[in-house]
Formats: sequence, C-alpha cells, structure tokens
Amino acid sequence: MATLTASTSRSAIVLRSAAAVLGGYVFCWGFIALAVAGLYALGMAFHDAEHLGAILAFLLYLTAFCWAFVTPSLRRAWLALAGGGAAMAAAASWLQHLILA
Amino acid sequence: MFQTFRQAMTWLHTWFGLLLGFVLVVVFFFGSLSVFDREIDRWAIPESRFAPQPMPSFDRVLRPVFESMQPSRESVDLMRDRVNGPMPEHFDVVRQWSAYTTHRDPVLGLFAGYEVPNAKDPEEAVWGERTIDPRDGRVLSDDHFKIGSQFFYPLHYSLTLEWREIGYWIVGFSALMMLVALVSGVVIHRKLFRELFTFRPDKHQRSVLDLHNMTGVVALPFHFFFAFTGLVIFAGIYFPLTETQLKPLHDRHERIEAAETGLPHDRAGVAAPLASVDAMVAEAQRRWHARGMAGDVGFLSVQHVGDANAYVSVYRAGTDRIALTGEGIHFKASTGELLREDPPATTVDSVNEFLTGLHLQHFRHWLLRWFYVLGGLTGCVCITTGFVFFVEKRKRQHARQDSRGARLVDAMAVTTVTGMLLATLGILIANRLLPETSPDGWPGRGDLERYVFWGTWALAMTHAFWRGAPVARGERNPAWREQVLAVGALAVLAALLNWATTGDHLIRTIRAGYWPVAGVDLSLLAGAAIAFLVARRLARRTPPRARTEPAHV
Amino acid sequence: MSDGVLLLAAWLAGFAGMGWFALAMETHWRQACSEAAGPPAARLRAAGTIALTASLALCLYVDHPSMAALVWVMSLAAAALAVAFLLSWRARWLRVLLFGKPRN
Repeated sequence: MATLTASTSRSAIVLRSAAAVLGGYVFCWGFIALAVAGLYALGMAFHDAEHLGAILAFLLYLTAFCWAFVTPSLRRAWLALAGGGAAMAAAASWLQHLILA
Repeated sequence: MFQTFRQAMTWLHTWFGLLLGFVLVVVFFFGSLSVFDREIDRWAIPESRFAPQPMPSFDRVLRPVFESMQPSRESVDLMRDRVNGPMPEHFDVVRQWSAYTTHRDPVLGLFAGYEVPNAKDPEEAVWGERTIDPRDGRVLSDDHFKIGSQFFYPLHYSLTLEWREIGYWIVGFSALMMLVALVSGVVIHRKLFRELFTFRPDKHQRSVLDLHNMTGVVALPFHFFFAFTGLVIFAGIYFPLTETQLKPLHDRHERIEAAETGLPHDRAGVAAPLASVDAMVAEAQRRWHARGMAGDVGFLSVQHVGDANAYVSVYRAGTDRIALTGEGIHFKASTGELLREDPPATTVDSVNEFLTGLHLQHFRHWLLRWFYVLGGLTGCVCITTGFVFFVEKRKRQHARQDSRGARLVDAMAVTTVTGMLLATLGILIANRLLPETSPDGWPGRGDLERYVFWGTWALAMTHAFWRGAPVARGERNPAWREQVLAVGALAVLAALLNWATTGDHLIRTIRAGYWPVAGVDLSLLAGAAIAFLVARRLARRTPPRARTEPAHV
Repeated sequence: MSDGVLLLAAWLAGFAGMGWFALAMETHWRQACSEAAGPPAARLRAAGTIALTASLALCLYVDHPSMAALVWVMSLAAAALAVAFLLSWRARWLRVLLFGKPRN
C-alpha cells in the first residue's frame, strides 16, 4: 500500500482527483467536439466521425486520468486538461460556425 | 504528490478500486446474468415456456394487435406536464410501430409510438408496449415481469436509477475506474506472466492476493474490452455533444441524410393505406439471400403509419456475426416499392459495430455466451478478493488503533457480494410465490417482486453491519458464512419452488431438452453446491496469521 | 465433424498449450514432476505456441473470424484458469501433457 508522502494532504488528494475526473472529462469533451467537427469538415460521414471520436476519447480519458495522478505539478494537470479541453471545444465551435456559414 | 509512478498507481488502484468496486461487482454480476436474460425470463414467466419463434406474419398477426394498441398510462402521465393544454383520451396519430425479436425469444415485444397534440417539443412521443405469443397473436398480461431482460439487465447498465440518468453515470464512471484499475493493477503486479498460473491455497492473505491477480490477469482482455465497449455503447449519454454544442451541425447532417436516403423525416399529412408488409419482408429476405446472408427478421418497423409518407423498414437479426448487423431494407408502405437498401458499413462503422456487438451479443453462439458468464464471474471474484485483501491487510492494525475502517469496508463487502446474491434469489423466490394477480389496492405483481429484491438486500446489509463487531477485533465477520449458507439454502428453495409451482422439474426439462429453464435450475443448484462448500471452508478456524507478509502491494 | 466437437478440440488444444507454458516454468514443473532436472523450457514453449495456434485455427474454421477471435480469447482464459486450479489442486495430473515421460 502506498505510504503517502508528508506533503500529501487531504485537499491535495481531492484536487488531484478532481483534475483527473473533471479535467479529464473536459479534455475528452473538447477532443470529441474537435474530432467530429474536424473530420466532418474533412469529408468523413457525420456518424463515423462521432463514433471514432468517442472510441478514441475513452482511451484518451483513461490515459489522461492516470497522467493526472502521475504528473508532479497539479497546476499543470489542471491547465493541460481543462485548458486543453476548453481550447479544443472552442476550436470545434469555430469550425462548426465555418461549416454552417 | 507521489514519489514514484508505482506509488501513484497503487494509491489509485487501492482507493478508486475500493470505492467503485462496490458498484463494479454489481455491474459484473448482473451483466453475467444478462447474458441469459431471456432464459431467466422463461423461468420467471411459465406461460412463455415454449420454443423461440421467428417474426410472425405482419398482415395476419401483428397488424390487428398494433391497431388495438394505445400508449401506456405511465407514458401518458410522464408526458402530461410537457404539453400545452390537456391530454387527449385517445391517441390517433401513430408515429411508429415496431416489433423486435431475437433467436432466443418465444414471445414477441411490440412497441407503438404516438404523436402528442400540442406537445411543447413536437419530437416527443408517448409509447405503448405489448408482449404477444407470436403463434396466435394472443396478448400476454403486462403484469408478467420479465425479471431477466427488464430488471437484471437494466441493473447491469443503470442500476435502475432512472432519475436524470444518474445510474448510467455511476456505472459509466465505474467502468472508467475499471479500466484505471486494470492499468494500475498491471503496473503494480509486474509478474503478469510469471505468476499467471499461480494460486497457493491455504496461505491466507497470499491466497487471496493470488486469486485476485490470477482472475484479473487471466480474463484481462475480457475485463478491458467489456468495460471499454460498455462506455462506447453509451457514449451518446456520457458525451451528449450532438444534442448540445454540435446540435446545429447534427441537424444539418440529419437534413442532408434524409434527402440522400429518400426516407421521409416527416408526415405528408395525406392519408394512405398500408400494402402487404409480408410481401415486403419476403422481398427483403430474397435480397439478403442473394447476398449470402441468413435471413431471419430481427426488427420490423412502420414509420408515419397511415400517411402517404409511411415507410416500412426490415432489419436482419444479426445472429451469425459479432456486429449488430442490420442490413436494413426500406419500402414505401402504401405500395411496397423499394425505397432504399442500406449501404455496406464503412470501416469506422464496422469497428463500432464490432465493439458494441461483442458486448451486446445478438449472435447465436452458446459456448461464447457461457464464456462471457465465466468472464463476468471471474470479474466478480477479482473484485471480491480485492475487498477481502483490503480488509485482511488492515484489520489487525485497525483493531490496535481502534479504527472502524476495516469493519465498515468488510460489512459493505458482505452486503454487495453475498447480499446481492440473496437479493437475486429473493426476487426469484418471490416470483414463484406471489399470486398471479395482486389483491385490489396492492402494487402490481412486478412491483412487489422488485420490493422483495430491495428488501432482501436491505436485510442482508443490516445483518452484515450488525454482525461486524469481530472485524474490529481483527477477526472474521460471521455474516460471511451465515449469508453464504443462506445463499445455498435459498438457491435450492428457488429450484424446488419452480418444480412445485410449475411441475417443470429438472428431469422433465432436461428430458425435453428445454434448456432455458433447465439451465437456470442447474445454475441455481450448482450455485448452492458452491455456496455449501464455501460455507464449510469458512467454518474452519481462521488460520494463524501467515508469518511472511506478501512481498508487494 | 460437428461444431461442438471442433470447439471442444479448440479448447483442449488451448488447455494443452497453457499447460505446456506453465510446465515450462521452473516452479510449476516442480509441482508436476519431482524430477531433479529442470523443464525442457524451449521445447515446452514451442509446443505451447503450436497448440495455441492450432486452437485459433480450429476456432477460425468453425466461426466467422470476428466471432472466432472472441471465442479463442475467452477459451484461452478458461483454459488458463483450469491449468491454474489443476496446479494448485492436483498438479501431478498435468504430467498427462508430458505423455508420461518423467515417471516418478
């Protein structure tokens, strides 16, 4: 069983778990959105893009979740996951806007 | 936060595994039962104990039943506050009729959706459901609860917590944690192949860990793919992008698709008769045959019933492939003219169909079904031994520190493992003992069966916590043995009650080759035998503490 | 031959293959035979590989490839479980896979 280091406080655990669960979720949301909009823009069938995005996203979520616990800096975990996810989601909305326009 | 990668993985495995393990063991167990959900239905509804039937004639059998259907009261009640104004007494505009069967269904489920006048969201519909005997069209009572397909199966994927789909989310998160537990477990274990066949019984903590590792590793591909594909199946619920952020894009795609396929999205508003659907089915089967595919109809639907835009869709039952192949063929309902044949699946579609199909198993392959049960049950053993190991490792230390942690976890483990078995047997026994129709003023028979299930489980939980005191002293909770004994006794009782109430004892069902019921009875008796063996082992005095502690974890 | 017989053969081949892989390991070899000499590991592993391949071939012969792959993976899991429990319960029975060669 892991013996937690002295610096590990309850709040660190909670923040770390939140980064993994919520940050990971936002990241995957952004990923699917960008995958669907991007692949559709490149000519893939809509449902194919949707399925491919989802299949890859769950593997990505798994990776992101584990990474959030492994990476030394909590701030970086939040920034990469939540920030990256938001950026991808924004890009997807912009792409959608271009396609519909 | 953690000094090493392995430490982080160990922490994840221990704590997330423990917390979500309580959900996962339920998901694995009822998933295993769902492999044979139709067979459990036969056991629970004796009047449906006959051979599986093909899709019957639409024109002669299905159409009269469909025409007599109306939405269910529950469905109308759910819709009531989503309508501007009162609800009509009678629903006339049929949006869809559909019938669904598999190669394991003697009875046939029929569904009908109706448009709701003045609905706030015109896309919403009210639904009615019927179960019929396809040989003669006789309608079966709605009160006959399909314990396998309508209770154990939904428990598997949603815990039957329907409110805001919260059950789906809990199960989905648990599935993700299953994947995390597998990855972290592999990292911690390291000796994946060297200890693949290692099980040292009678070594106490070491034996528990051996069993945990072995069941986890041996069925690793199964565990991984089932957790993963379960997530993929409900991806639309977990990431509802196309209903939110990307809805404009999705709507545009829908419009283009409707134009391309030629299948009308809306009603024309002009009445039209319905041509012979049997002739369309025959044509569809001819076309499948020409492509060299088995031609049983799995799903049949009529869209926009009674309208000039109505069309009939005929889908193939995917019994000979893993993929949920549909090969849908669509006809104009008023003339029987061919509208469209679904094109061959794209690569992504094939992958997606394989992944979802391997989980949903519409195929005809009894050996693979039993292998799935075995995989699911190894999952249960893996999770249960995880609980036991957690408690065994800590209980003496907790006893010294006067901490209640081990006692709590142990009681929860008893509740979720043996308590779940007791609840399952409880609903089967209630099913055999409750009267055909509930007395006036009582809840329906199906509801009573469900209450017995949850009631039994609550009792088991109370028992587990009440008997838990020894764990706080570093000893074993006697509830384990007592509940295992009860499982054995109730399993035998359930099989006996099936005999007493229906006359279908094992000798008769095996002689007749009626495996759905014989299989459930045999599984009950096998379960009882295992339970009595386990109880005997648990009765032995707890062995003296193993001198050497396990090398890792 | 019926599909059932062929699938049984596929499982038995998987069982033999898993058994040979187990016997190729020093600890399990000692459980099965009390022979002084160690296991002929390379030969056992080769036999194991051949047996697992044969098992896959049989599965592919019976079912559509997508189905056969699943049947094979799951039957190997069942075979590995059987070998593991046999090793802990009646390890010497596994000598049947050695065609009786190490006698004691």
